[in-house]
Amino acid sequence: MKKRKLLSMLMVATMMVATFAGCGGSREGNTEPATTDTPAATEETTTEAPTAEFPGFEDGATIGVSLPWLGTQNWKEAEEMFTEQLKDAGYNPIVQAADQKVTQQQQQIESMIENGAKVIVVGPVDGSQLGSVLEQAKEAGVYVIGYDRLIENTTGVDGVVQFGSVKTGELQAEALLAGLQEKKGDKPYNIELFGGGPADPNAPNFFTGAMSKLQPLIDDGTLVVVSGQTDFTQCATPDWDNAKAQQRMDSLLSGFYSDKEIDGVLCPNDGIARACITACENAGQDIPVVSGLDAENESVEWVWAGKQYSTVAKPTEDLVAKTIEIIDSLKNGTGMPATQVNVNNGQIDVLVYELPPVVVTKENAKEVFANDPSRLKLLQ
Amino acid sequence: MDNNSYILQMQSITKEFPGVRALDDVNLSVRTGTIHSICGENGAGKSTLMKVLSGVYPYGTYDGKIIFMGKEMKFKNIKESESAGIAIIHQELTMIPELSITENIFMGNEILRNGLIDWAEEKRRTYDILKKVGLSINPDILIKHLGVGQQQLVEIAKALSKNVKLLILDEPTSALNEADSANLLELMKDLKSRGITCIMISHKLNEIAAISDAVTVIRDGHTVESYDVVAGEVDEDKIIKAMVGRSIENRYPEHKSCPGNVIFEVNNWCVEDPDVEGRMVCKHASFNVRAGEIVGFAGLMGAGRTELMRSIFGKNYGIYRGGTIKIKGKEVKLNSVESAIKHGVAYVPEDRKNLGLNLLDCIRTTVVAADLDKITKRGLLDLNEEKIAAEDYRNQLKIKTSHVDKGVTTLSGGNQQKVVLSKWMFTEPDILILDEPTRGIDVGAKYEIYKLIHQLADAGKAVILVSSELPELLGMADRIYTIFEGSITGEISAAEADQEILMKRMTITSKE
Amino acid sequence: MKYIKQVLGGDLRQYTMVVALAALIIIFNIISGGRMLTSSNFQNLISGNAYVLILALGMLMVIVIGQIDLSVGSVAGFAGMVMALVAKNYNVPWWCAVLIAIAIGLLAGAWHGFFLSQLGIPGFITTLGGMMIFRGGVIWISHSISVPAPEQLKWFGSGYLPEWGPAFTGMNNSTLLLGIIGIVAYVVAQIRKYKRSGDATGVKDPLWAVVVRIILMTVLIGYFTWLFGSGRVGTSFPVPGLILLLLTIIYHIITQRTKFGRHVYAVGGNKAAAALSGVNVKRTYFLTMMNMSFLAAVAGILFVGRSTAAGPADGTSWEMDAIASVFIGGAAVSGGVGTILATIVGGLVMAVLNNGLMLMGVGADKTQVIKGFVLLAAVAFDVYNKKSGKSSIIGRLFPSKEEKAAN
Repeated sequence: MKKRKLLSMLMVATMMVATFAGCGGSREGNTEPATTDTPAATEETTTEAPTAEFPGFEDGATIGVSLPWLGTQNWKEAEEMFTEQLKDAGYNPIVQAADQKVTQQQQQIESMIENGAKVIVVGPVDGSQLGSVLEQAKEAGVYVIGYDRLIENTTGVDGVVQFGSVKTGELQAEALLAGLQEKKGDKPYNIELFGGGPADPNAPNFFTGAMSKLQPLIDDGTLVVVSGQTDFTQCATPDWDNAKAQQRMDSLLSGFYSDKEIDGVLCPNDGIARACITACENAGQDIPVVSGLDAENESVEWVWAGKQYSTVAKPTEDLVAKTIEIIDSLKNGTGMPATQVNVNNGQIDVLVYELPPVVVTKENAKEVFANDPSRLKLLQ
Repeated sequence: MDNNSYILQMQSITKEFPGVRALDDVNLSVRTGTIHSICGENGAGKSTLMKVLSGVYPYGTYDGKIIFMGKEMKFKNIKESESAGIAIIHQELTMIPELSITENIFMGNEILRNGLIDWAEEKRRTYDILKKVGLSINPDILIKHLGVGQQQLVEIAKALSKNVKLLILDEPTSALNEADSANLLELMKDLKSRGITCIMISHKLNEIAAISDAVTVIRDGHTVESYDVVAGEVDEDKIIKAMVGRSIENRYPEHKSCPGNVIFEVNNWCVEDPDVEGRMVCKHASFNVRAGEIVGFAGLMGAGRTELMRSIFGKNYGIYRGGTIKIKGKEVKLNSVESAIKHGVAYVPEDRKNLGLNLLDCIRTTVVAADLDKITKRGLLDLNEEKIAAEDYRNQLKIKTSHVDKGVTTLSGGNQQKVVLSKWMFTEPDILILDEPTRGIDVGAKYEIYKLIHQLADAGKAVILVSSELPELLGMADRIYTIFEGSITGEISAAEADQEILMKRMTITSKE
Repeated sequence: MKYIKQVLGGDLRQYTMVVALAALIIIFNIISGGRMLTSSNFQNLISGNAYVLILALGMLMVIVIGQIDLSVGSVAGFAGMVMALVAKNYNVPWWCAVLIAIAIGLLAGAWHGFFLSQLGIPGFITTLGGMMIFRGGVIWISHSISVPAPEQLKWFGSGYLPEWGPAFTGMNNSTLLLGIIGIVAYVVAQIRKYKRSGDATGVKDPLWAVVVRIILMTVLIGYFTWLFGSGRVGTSFPVPGLILLLLTIIYHIITQRTKFGRHVYAVGGNKAAAALSGVNVKRTYFLTMMNMSFLAAVAGILFVGRSTAAGPADGTSWEMDAIASVFIGGAAVSGGVGTILATIVGGLVMAVLNNGLMLMGVGADKTQVIKGFVLLAAVAFDVYNKKSGKSSIIGRLFPSKEEKAAN
């Protein structure tokens, strides 16, 4: 009995010591471990005047990368590339995915701040729901770079790296038109329109870009949207969910195409493109001309096999490379690189670094993937 | 006597539960090819004896020997007793209403061919077996579409399908109407002629008299009498005497009652069964209770006593179909338990564990549970008041516990009942309905509860005591009502009553 | 160990999870190199999990009555979305939008309560329906597009208490004040309890135990006051934490000290016995379900405040987090058992686990797996204890006199 008593007292004592030992913070600044802060502070004082606004940081600094999830190929690729390339560039990366949950992502970002990250790259689950966490990051002196999707409704973002989303939409529409002329003979063409996940701020932009090319032709009768559904909200695919897109395509086909041929489908990404093709095959239709996005492996094969007319490659390595370029610039204390594009995110104008996407069809596939051995292998 | 002529001999069976000796040296010998009746009051030990026989209480949990067809049996579970050829038809039917007759009969004994059920064979056999019990209906019919009598026959058919040697029927006619009952008795005679031995447990002396070859009477866990009879010439009075004939000296404390005015009156109370449409569980029941009086209600299980009381207590049971209640001369409507409590009525239910107590609670919270307003101050419960009340009753009722914060499950049955009584005494009622307040309680605790009942009566409360133990009613009550099938069949002052008079009014005997 | 028992009062088993929580915090603090126990991390921990804990408060009561509510996430999302839309499209003041959201919560709860109490449809089914209805509703009214919320709401979701008064305290003075109020309230309550402790039995609690209890609690509250208050200037104990704290106190009182609270436990423990003791079972069902959706609306509002926008996927699978918290807190699936404080501890165990694993850089996938195991282990441990009738590990470490006498 005595021994036990002693033991438990000891336990309590250690608990107390451990708890107090853990809190070395002071009221000044944030309470991050002071050791990592000091070199940064000294560097700050020595750097020149214009960079005071953008203080640099040391080699080996922690860089946080918060991705929405790893459920599609491009995100998984991004995860691997960031981990590898940030390490190679001499940083200490923390790459995490949020499983499509906003709450999870908020907490992840907070823990990155806690871990002393100097830059946090955020591929948002929902671009408008990270306001307070990102502002918190800003207050803690952390740079925030949006990745692939615009971050809205907050002052806490320094820049966004993405493929031009309106431009992407335009390219998709152009590819669709080219395909229709090539494969489906003379006009008019019967087409249907699909949009992406409404929670993703890029999705309406894709759609807007595409419609800027398609609307004039719909108006002059070259294109006929048989279902009449041309609003983004009508065409959107919740959560980018392929299954939901396929369901919608199924019902469109049974509802409007019992006595008509479908010639083309505007699809905002590869998953949806494949879903639409499958739906058409199941309904006994000839395969329509479709557009796509992301150059997923399976779609690359389908493009090569002539099943899917086109996809748009947004090479993840380009995005990652650009992001790391910005991080390097920040490290050196030279601030955010210059760019022409400014987008208002509802609160402030955000610097946007747009990269050009590439249309892939059977003809140019080999050239596009010349530097991508894994995809090149698919073109056999 | 030749041992081989007995299909079953149970010798010196003793079964104890914590605090109670349910069976004490019981002997039962059943001759092959007879109908053997077992009689006894509720709680006498009949069901326990049958549970011992069928392996519900496995070998080792009781003392004594079971010899079945010449061999000593050590059943570990029901399955083993079934495969030996013993089947019980319970009071409550145990078939699955949503399945067909065939499925129910072969439940657990499915005939398989290549791993799949052979429906054709099952159906053919079902048809044959149903014929044996005199049913000629489609074996695909769902059980729920059958009448209770037919269900009973299917249940027997199920037993026959397992090649039964000894069939035990526990109150087989309690849920049947006259015609179905007669039909069932005929079937039993028929089975007997085919060499199947039957044990019948019954309260209905006319049925026992009609078909029995032997009668065993059990009382308080002892075999009182066991003798052969000639069917049709059974002395019912002798059985009644054996069933109730125990001395009741000194088991009840001395008490002199001084009843005041009538403070509780029920008139023409009618209640319909909530599950069976059209079946009335209370038929025009009228009675009254005076202040300071203890009024007994005698009736066998299922006679409608509990239903009547629960229905009076804020319409907690059944569908109200008419009747009035007067408390202290004023007519009141008790439409909810809450209003019944407010009008000074308290009800201690018979099923302590399922209806009387929240077994997760501790003593302290149980005592105040029926009248939380009493300890509420400015919207909050005063836990100190609660503790004071609990301690108060703990001392007053001598509840044996180390602490009022102990859970009620830590208490013995008698102490649990005292907690339930505390709960209702805390509401300070004028009318206390006690439904089987001493069931499952040892003799010592019973005596204390009897004293408590007397104290309550002396304090001017009207006490209604529902019990299936006749000596208890005779020892405690000032006046006794008898109930049979939902009707009040008599009102006798305790001084004039004896057990035989009561028992006659609680059962159907062929002499009336 | 009679002494420890007297200090903590009564059943030691309830402290199992508290010890587990403390152990988790310490272990993570050591592994992460002191990043767990920092002001900013704990501020984040509280404001990031306040919504789940608020849901868990209501869920506890629902589970105690023997039901379950699957709709809370959807109701939270719906209420938040309506609030954001109303504020944006109709230009009503923000507080008005908040009231509308709360009204929606109450209505949704009344809807569930009606089906459960009046028609007797099990809560599982009723709220499964509600889950679909309100999830669909969110997507419908929002067109699957996130809607920015009024600026003022940010204060509720991730705001801090104001800075004022002298700076020499070295802390946020609002937090300091809060801590002092907490300590004083605890001391007063303990003294009052001590004074009246002899009323029933005539034996007062030992004075030294009361003193030790007060000292321990003072140190604990003092430490957390300092932890929360000494962060970066402008930060304090977070506002959502304060809301959570108030709600926890209120619901603790409701469940332990009111007639309604007793009825909740009575109905969950034994419905038939409760009905025979004068409890209006239907009313208890109705109010409990209504309360749950009310809290769901509150949680939705806080979350929108923190996210600065209401999204179409808000609230997805929140019900599962809330249910997990309740069960880790020791509630019984069959109802009748569980307390508000234990639920909060259960929820904090989940939150600390989540937070600690993130600090260590463990991904969401593995975190999920670990949380699943913890849930199973906690409940299995509880069930094992109840089944075998053994006391918990702590109970076994410190057997009471009676138990030893019995042995």
